[in-house]
Formats: sequence, structure tokens, C-alpha cells
Amino acid sequence: MIILSSMFSAFSADNLKYLLGGLGITILVSVVSIVLSFVIGSILGVIRYEKIPYFSRFVGLIIDIVRNLPLLLIIFFTYFALPRFGVHLSILTSAIIAMTAFESMMVAEIIRGGLKSIDFGQTEGARSTGMSNAQTMWHIILPQAYKTMIPPLISQFISLVKDTSLATAIVLPELMYRAQIVYGQDNTYMVPILLLIAAMYFVVNYGLSLLAKWFDSKLA
Amino acid sequence: MSMIEFKNVEKYYGDFHALKNVNLSIDAGETVVLIGPSGSGKSTLIRTINGLEEIQEGQLIVNGYDLHDPKTDINRIRKNVGMVFQHFNLYNNKSTLENIMLAPRLVLKRDEAENKKVAMELLDKVGLADKADSMPSALSGGQKQRVAIARSLAMKPKALLFDEPTSALDPEMIGDVLDVMKDIASDSDMTMLVVTHEMNFAKQVADRVIFMDAGEILEDSTTEKFFTNPDDPRAKQFLSQVERH
Repeated sequence: MIILSSMFSAFSADNLKYLLGGLGITILVSVVSIVLSFVIGSILGVIRYEKIPYFSRFVGLIIDIVRNLPLLLIIFFTYFALPRFGVHLSILTSAIIAMTAFESMMVAEIIRGGLKSIDFGQTEGARSTGMSNAQTMWHIILPQAYKTMIPPLISQFISLVKDTSLATAIVLPELMYRAQIVYGQDNTYMVPILLLIAAMYFVVNYGLSLLAKWFDSKLA
Repeated sequence: MSMIEFKNVEKYYGDFHALKNVNLSIDAGETVVLIGPSGSGKSTLIRTINGLEEIQEGQLIVNGYDLHDPKTDINRIRKNVGMVFQHFNLYNNKSTLENIMLAPRLVLKRDEAENKKVAMELLDKVGLADKADSMPSALSGGQKQRVAIARSLAMKPKALLFDEPTSALDPEMIGDVLDVMKDIASDSDMTMLVVTHEMNFAKQVADRVIFMDAGEILEDSTTEKFFTNPDDPRAKQFLSQVERH
């Protein structure tokens, strides 16, 4: 009963508006980071796949280092440590850069795995007709590889959406942060608010996984 | 004039000596069949001709370009030298027609209407005009190989390389593919090098037969001489083994 009655006041119009604003920031950071990390990750993944002397090794080393660090550390680094090197970024930019840096490495490994799964005969067939390496990659290999990569990519992006909540630690006013502000006013709000934002995260991420299924059936 | 010329070519895979002092010259317009037991280096040899395998020593001159020279743009050779593979290697993400039209569009910048016209003519030539919009996954092995041949022909190459084109096919599919190849061989301008186990095909279309074993060319004779009275004892033995069936 206490929870029910506190729900009414917890879900006041002001609180809901405030939380939806937080969801908006969560989605903004997610979408920008997804787009950037998809592009950067694809480039890095192709570089690592191509085995360019030294360069691919170097990129591989960077990927392995970043992938094995906690995301929170990277977020702290971009926001708290970069200013010491004279790079001052806003909270939003820091969060996006940290998410992108981390996710690009994860995406790069997914891309490389997808590329490796494509039969080398596809490459030989294309190269034997005089197509360049880049044309072969763009027209033949990548389109086939992306198809196999959609499920792991989407699950990576779902993790990304959830991980935006880590930016609470640098006071990014995203959904998780704003939830804490709201139930900070009144402790009885805690359960309803947490349930509400859980539902919000669920809707966004479940939407993503439905999108993955749709892609899968469309491309299969 | 020689279209393909090997001069003292050596090829290694690590410590394995895959091609040993290969000397071979194929004239423009010739149809040459390359035979030998498996592991003899036939596929390796044919794959060096369009740069799918590198050579370590010697000279390999194809259509006037030296393949071993790092300054040679390999794509200029490939434009003129097509390849047909054992496992077809059709682009799985493209329709039959797109498989044929892609390289002429990207490499030759052929006009789109002309490109489509050429592609449809070739599909018709290989008997698959009705499969223009099919995806490769919907084709049988023999159909795939005929599309792959059409794809090579679309570049209007001077030479075509066939690397065991019928080895992965069901027996009833082989005839259609060989018929298309015979048709191509009858074009006197086309240089053809074919790695195959189809002895009857070799007898019917080859001007010359080359026999390889353990990375060496052991016999290089006219077709008639090769099948009636080869010089090399291993070629003799090989023939008696394959002809017994």
C-alpha cells in the first residue's frame, strides 16, 4: 500500500518529464556512440583483417588493450585525466568519446570475426576479375560479413545502451543519474522509480533485439 | 606470340618446393590441358598466372607483363586473364546477372546498358538466360559453374584459366559445363589453359597436353602424341591408370 501510494507522487508529471529527458540523453549518447563505433570499428576491423605489415599488428595491440580495460576507467580517463593534457571536454562529449573508444574496439573484433567467416573463394573470385582489394571488400566481402555479424553487433549495442548508465559517475544527466535525483527527494520513491527506469531500459533494448530479428529474417 | 611464358620459375610454400624450374610457353589462341596426379602442382601453376599465388624465382610473363616485377599492376593482368575455379566462387550476395555485370562495371567502366546486354548474351550462350535474377544459392553446381564462366567471359579476356572446373560437380552436370568450354575453345583468339581430369575433353579440344608431377613439368606434347606415345614414363603410367576406368 505504501508503495502504491508513493507511486502516484513518484510518477508526478514533473518527475516523468525529468526522467524522459534523462532517457533522451541516454538515447542520444547511445545513438551517437553506436554510429561512430560502427564506422570506426568497421575500419579497425578491416585493418586488422587485412594483415597490413606492422600497422595491423599495432591496431590489434590497441584493440586488445582497450578491450581489456573497464569502461568506467575509460570514462574517468576522458573526463578527469584528459584535462591534465590540456584537453577539456564537456561531460556529454567525454561520455560519447569514452563509449565510442571502448565500443569501437568491441565492434572491430566482431567485424574481423565476421570477415574471417567468409570463404576466401569469394575474395579470389572477385580479385580474379580484376577488382581491387577495396572494391572486393566493399561489394562482396563486407555485405556478406555484415549479415553474419548482425546478431553479435546488436547484442553489443544493447550492452552499450546499458553501459551509458556508467556515465552517472561523471554526472552525465542520463536516465540512471536522474532516477537517483528523483528518489533522492523522497526515499519511498526508490522502488517505483527504479522499476520505471527498468521498464524504460527494457523497452529500448528489447526494441533493439526485435530490430535484430527483423534484420535477420529480412536478410536470411 | 606467346601469351603466357614461364622462365625458370620456382615456387615454395615454406620449405615445400611446389614448382620446380618450370619453363612453359603458351601461344595466344592455344588450348592447353594440364594434367597430373593430385598434389603435382597443377593448381599452383595455374594460380600463379593471374597472381593468386606468388612465385619466388624466375620470370612469369603474361600478356606482356612480368608478374614477378613488383611494379606490375596485377589488376591489369587480371582484366585480360579470367579464371574459373573448382568451387565456382560466385558472389553469394549478388544475383546471377549482377555476378556477371559487377567487374565490367567497376573495372572496365562499361556503359550500363551495354553491360547488361553483354551479360544477357553470355547467359544465353551458357544456356541460363532464365536464371538472370536467381541467387547463386538457387542454382545447381553445373549452373553455378556456367555462370562463373559467363562472369569470366564478360571481361572479354584474352586468356581463360580453368582450375579443375568439373571436379566438384555431380557426373550428370559435367557435360553441360564441358560443352560450354568446348564452345569457348573453338574461338581461335582465346587462349585457354585447363587443369582437368577429363581425358576425353583433353583429347577433343586440346592443342597440347602438359603433364606434371611433384612440381615439375615432365611432358609437353601435342595432344595426339601425348595420348598415343608419351615420352615420359610417369606420364605413361598415369595414362594407363586413368584410362583403365
